[in-house]
Amino acid sequence: MTMNINRRTALGLALAAPAILRSSRAFAAKELRIMAWQGYADDDWVKEFQEQTGSTAKVVFIGTDDEIWAKIKGSEGKDFDVFAVNTAQLQRYIDGKLTTPHDLAKLPNQKDVLPRFRDLSKVKGVIRDGKVHAIPFCFDSIGLIYDKDKVNPAPDSFEILWDPKYQGKILAYDNGEHNFSFTALTLGIEDPFHLTDEQLTKIKDKLIKLKQNILSFYTTPDEALQLYKNNDVALIWANYGQQQVKAMKDAGANIEYVNPKEGALAWLDTWAMTSGVQDFDLAEAWVNFLLQKKIGQQLSERTGFGNTVVETGSASANDKLVWLDFVEDPTKRSDLWNEIKAQP
Amino acid sequence: MIFVGSARTGLWPRALAAFAYALPVIVIALPLFSFLSYSFFRVDNGEIVRDLGLFNYRRFFTDAIFIPVLLQTCILCLAVAGLATLIGYPVAFQLANLKGRRRYFLLLLVLVPLLMSYIIKIYAIRSILGGNGFLNRFLLWAGFITQPSSLFVFNLNAVLLTLTILLIPFAILPIFLSLERIPKSLIEASNDLGATNLQTFRWIVLPLSLPGIVTASTFVFVLAIGDFLTPQMVGGQSGFTFGRIIYSQFGTAFNWPFGSALAAILTFVIVIVIGLGNRLERRWL
Repeated sequence: MTMNINRRTALGLALAAPAILRSSRAFAAKELRIMAWQGYADDDWVKEFQEQTGSTAKVVFIGTDDEIWAKIKGSEGKDFDVFAVNTAQLQRYIDGKLTTPHDLAKLPNQKDVLPRFRDLSKVKGVIRDGKVHAIPFCFDSIGLIYDKDKVNPAPDSFEILWDPKYQGKILAYDNGEHNFSFTALTLGIEDPFHLTDEQLTKIKDKLIKLKQNILSFYTTPDEALQLYKNNDVALIWANYGQQQVKAMKDAGANIEYVNPKEGALAWLDTWAMTSGVQDFDLAEAWVNFLLQKKIGQQLSERTGFGNTVVETGSASANDKLVWLDFVEDPTKRSDLWNEIKAQP
Repeated sequence: MIFVGSARTGLWPRALAAFAYALPVIVIALPLFSFLSYSFFRVDNGEIVRDLGLFNYRRFFTDAIFIPVLLQTCILCLAVAGLATLIGYPVAFQLANLKGRRRYFLLLLVLVPLLMSYIIKIYAIRSILGGNGFLNRFLLWAGFITQPSSLFVFNLNAVLLTLTILLIPFAILPIFLSLERIPKSLIEASNDLGATNLQTFRWIVLPLSLPGIVTASTFVFVLAIGDFLTPQMVGGQSGFTFGRIIYSQFGTAFNWPFGSALAAILTFVIVIVIGLGNRLERRWL
């Protein structure tokens, strides 16, 4: 039977076509919604992953821990499938039921990671109630960047940030938690992440003195570099560690990096799945893809971070690293930090 | 107005009117109501607890840092508004006195900075004011100073300067519009009756442009007081303003109720300042 395609039928088909096409595409097109820091989801990796799995990956880059919390908590885990988060912040997300545990059977590359990261029960924070909520991906320490021409001899402790000789020549990262933690370490406190009220008050007084010694706060590595280029800066406490060192050296700065002897705070970034993950297998495929040796190598070459699969020089063997942990009360530290900043 | 006679009571004009009333309610009133209601909640261990209470407002009055910071911020922003209006008035005056197409072309040039990204402008200003920046290098070359000065950057002076530079276009436009509206006949009459240019300005032009001045100052004040980026980027260790406290409540503190309460208080302050501005305008006219 030949169909008489009159105008009505043609119009009807034209209107129905998108719906028909969309429903057939829905079975084939898988989408992965990724939230990552710059350097964790480079374009060539995403492209290769998309080709390998026949999916599309949408990457949203964020700049601060606050942003991740605002976006994931704010959408109750529904706007993204997989996100990069450090082990300290991770606890909030697990507490808030915003994560889905990993299935190690789907992550064969995890078996070949560096010895330090192989036994996940030894990596503080990633396991809760026997379930693995996050897979380590990269790390770096929070050390001291000093200008070799302006600071002699080479410093070995964060104590130098309080030296009146460098008044107005210091840059500090604008975040209450880390400022409290490393100041606790300089005071010899063993556990800088669970401070008593008395310790917090003592540290607050010391931080007011630090604040009066600095030139300005910064929030991104680019900003720190710009501030260094445009002003007389001798010391920076480097929240972004090697990333800042690399950027500054590339720009021609004569600087060096040192991990303080009292212990360097170090962060460990992981990949976690949200509670609202749409395609579990695809998310696991992404994490497994990133655990390849070649990706780890490229990650370290491009950003300078330490990775979990190939040895790099992020920290020497003698360096004391203090893995970041969830602090006792982030709201309280934030409020105290505001009080410190409000001091004239 | 547009519809006359029987067309006024038809379905179409009624629907249009309903839409016109609904839009501000949905887009403005509802969000305002939402954050106002948030201000009565509180936070417990990272979760927002929805029982109503005035704890946030009480905290604003009892904790030692909030009122001084709010006062300092208000004073700073009044200074910004005053400075921007002072600088903007002569520019607007010159523009209003130009003839023909040149006037609007130059006005457009004045407004071009508004097309630029806000953050890029602050970066640029910070570079210019910095220790190795253009300003310091010029002062060193001219011999005014022997060492780079930190007077202009990373303190409240820098915040004042930067906010003024950023907000001058917002001051120029309302003043220009009010000056443009002054009938030429009034100025001519004043000259005919023997007044000097200064007298004409003082007694005719200035009072008639007062609504524009009030609008300009109010615009700049409102834009400056909520700003948290400029104080953070050029304020150094002393650039802590009320906007930054509010901003921090929506970060790791995750204390949205308290942040909403502070925002409500800021709104209240702004409403008072706008009201005072109106009163002042009416008294002078």
